[in-house]
Amino acid sequence: MPKIRVNGLDVHVQRLGHTGDAPRPVVVLIHGLLIDTLASYYFSLGPMLAEEGMDVVMYDLRGHGKTSRPPTGYLLEDFVTDLDELLDALEVDRPVHLVGNSFGGAIAYAMAAAHPERVASVVAIEGEPPARTWQESMYAGLVEGDLVIERVTEWLRENPGERNMRPFRTAGKTLDATTIAQEIPQSRLIDEDLSAIRCPVFAMFGGASVLAAQAGPLEALLADCRTVVLPDRGHSVMVEATRETYTLVRDWLFEQETHALRGAR
Amino acid sequence: MTTEPTGLEGATRPAAPDEATVLADISAILRTVLEEYGLDDAEITPETSFHDDLELESIDLVTLSAQLREFYGERVNFAAFIADRGLEEIIALTVGDLVGYVVGSLAVAEVG
Repeated sequence: MPKIRVNGLDVHVQRLGHTGDAPRPVVVLIHGLLIDTLASYYFSLGPMLAEEGMDVVMYDLRGHGKTSRPPTGYLLEDFVTDLDELLDALEVDRPVHLVGNSFGGAIAYAMAAAHPERVASVVAIEGEPPARTWQESMYAGLVEGDLVIERVTEWLRENPGERNMRPFRTAGKTLDATTIAQEIPQSRLIDEDLSAIRCPVFAMFGGASVLAAQAGPLEALLADCRTVVLPDRGHSVMVEATRETYTLVRDWLFEQETHALRGAR
Repeated sequence: MTTEPTGLEGATRPAAPDEATVLADISAILRTVLEEYGLDDAEITPETSFHDDLELESIDLVTLSAQLREFYGERVNFAAFIADRGLEEIIALTVGDLVGYVVGSLAVAEVG
């Protein structure tokens, strides 16, 4: 299994479409929190984007999938350092496109704010920039009791034989064995005016998700931002509408690369 | 299955493997994936279901897919095979389905 030593962790990485000779646009796909892993991309957007000529990097976040699960160290800035050092380890020296789903979107925004020279664009699928609203929802979801994941784990315990149980058991273990839930809401935030994010941003939302209300404010605040709201889709828009999501992401990436090529001339 | 002459004198390309060989290969690969769960002595037959019998998570299927690629080369693209299928179909996948897919991919690669 391809594991790379990064920031004191063994990080599980899968890369598709990488060719040593002709450099291709690098796209890093960042998955969501707790029940998610790089598999969400590996069996959906990953191979399709590689097929279109992109160099696709997928990795399991710390505490997730096959990457190490340290007991502590789950501030957003830890996730950002992991990504920064992962790019070093992979010897990626050109700006990359970051695609983040849900919590992965927050990591993408935070990375763009902390290392603007490394980020060509951000695609956030149902993801928020790490500002106060994000912090409040992280706090509500992870700290203020009544954790969704705990309710689901409890329900699965009472309904044995139910499908897709293992990801929830794994998530339950991570919650028990680490300080992830306590730490994430304590992460360093970016300024409310989002001025730290200067790269082009494409934000996608499900119309039935509470996050969709952020589309307008995002466009107003960010210098270069496009938003799309997919009607009737929820927070899991990437799973519910994989094809649609893929087409939007692909077209955005193509457009960004055309700009980059023009700019280089 | 007969072996067609390739017309390439001295070509040593082996014939596409049969189902029994592929089943043995895949079982060996699966055992390395299952080792992590202490399940490396699980019985693996063509009827074994990845989800219900082996309880593999999607991240385990990534490992499996990457190892298949390493073992058979680019011709066996399990990620694309899965990406083309719906969740229900993936949940119902058996070892036999995968064997069939691998044998088919290798045979096509040989003809092509």
